[in-house]
Amino acid sequence: MLYYPFMRRAFCAGVILAALLAVLGVFVVLRKMAFFADGIAHASLSGAAAGLLFSMDPMFTALISAIIFAAVIYFLERRLGVSSDSSIGIIFAFGMALGVFLISRRPGYQPELISFLFGNILAIRNSDLLLIAVLGVVILVFIFRNLRALTLMSLDNELAHSGGVRVEPLRLAMNIFLACAVVLGIRILGVVLVSALLIIPVSSAKLVAGGFKQLILISVIFSEAALLSGLTVSYAMDIPAGPAIVLAGSVFFALSGLFSAGSGSVKRAAGGN
Amino acid sequence: MKTRTPAIEISGLNVRFNSLSILRDINFKLEPGEIVAVIGPNGAGKTTLFRAILGLIPFDGSIRVLGSPTKKALGQLGYVPQRFSFDRSFPLRVREFLSLSLRGPDTGLIERSLSDTEMLGRKDSLIGSLSGGQLQRVLMARALMGSPDILLLDEPTAGVDLEGESGFYDIIKKQNASRGVTSLVITHEINMVYKYATRVICLNRDIYCHGTPKESITRELLSRLYGKDVVMRGHSH
Repeated sequence: MLYYPFMRRAFCAGVILAALLAVLGVFVVLRKMAFFADGIAHASLSGAAAGLLFSMDPMFTALISAIIFAAVIYFLERRLGVSSDSSIGIIFAFGMALGVFLISRRPGYQPELISFLFGNILAIRNSDLLLIAVLGVVILVFIFRNLRALTLMSLDNELAHSGGVRVEPLRLAMNIFLACAVVLGIRILGVVLVSALLIIPVSSAKLVAGGFKQLILISVIFSEAALLSGLTVSYAMDIPAGPAIVLAGSVFFALSGLFSAGSGSVKRAAGGN
Repeated sequence: MKTRTPAIEISGLNVRFNSLSILRDINFKLEPGEIVAVIGPNGAGKTTLFRAILGLIPFDGSIRVLGSPTKKALGQLGYVPQRFSFDRSFPLRVREFLSLSLRGPDTGLIERSLSDTEMLGRKDSLIGSLSGGQLQRVLMARALMGSPDILLLDEPTAGVDLEGESGFYDIIKKQNASRGVTSLVITHEINMVYKYATRVICLNRDIYCHGTPKESITRELLSRLYGKDVVMRGHSH
């Protein structure tokens, strides 16, 4: 399977993205930001459509639009006092509407658009792989350098502030990096399914992890396992990669649930004392 | 004679949300080593006062902590919030939670602060498995980790049983006696105010009283403060 260059690129990109989305997913779940990730993924359709319309790299333009939308959501919440749900809902709908409007200006069938919606491992070029690797490393370094502050902020803004954390810049940076990671993940999973890799591995790990470090580690393991088994099944059965990865992740979630429900749950045994 | 810098000095503090005035012309000082209670009905602006001291909200007037603006003195403040709501299914152990507030490697600080709050035995427990009272002690341990000069405690024993409440105030008293820690405590427990506080501030948007509990807390004052007749037992004047 790795004989083909496109599969090698897909595996390399997938391994980086699986780790990145799993680590970010810990904060997405802790801060209940699943709708933010979904909203940014859908809104970035406008960026991709603009790229196609003006003959630019759609991934690059989607990335720019996602960063702008993440900043706009932050300012709607913090400066205008619009609730988080409403801010994301507005940007979600606006971005999708703008995307459809821009697409309608370009005549004919749009294969790039379909791969943007549902993901396409064949679409990963060397330049995409480089962008995923560079941005992925930058975001992971940011997270691990600010791990304590990010975790405290995700638990409680006031506690973080009283502990000397500069909450607002950190929150804005986190929103922007999350938006970037979501757009990177769209290449493989598509707009519709990208948030699955943010949510499912962490939710599975929560059921069995006995501490915070374990949670991060097990989330990454589940995410990589879902990615690798999904890509393998996708190649073997000739089915789209995105759904195969999400279905594999769902199987791991079900297995974690069964394990947790059983008497040997690491978490309950350790936490009840 | 050299005068000591007040632990907290508030002058002309006004806080407004849109057109609503939450705190009006608040002025008071906390001297180092005092334990001062803030009492008042719900919606009186007590938590807003703390949020202003912590620099979490905009305000008019001046707040100085140990002679400096809050931003510069944040490291000298230990804060215990009224509520700490989080996903209780999240696998975070007590020592992991406390390590989030460390600024460097742990040099026994976590164990010491847990020992000070009698929670050492729960250091490996998941925070989601703790009772309300235990969680407040962990938050107290977190506040003590930075060896603060001042503690801000916002109804730290709300929902805690009498024994737990008394134990919690004993920790405040012990910190005060051993390290001279100044405490500003929001509470509804008048008995605790009499037992532990050196002074009391009665707040309902404005300051209604300010002095020692014995001098300040009268039935008339409480009735005026809370807007209804209050029966006092065991503390007649």
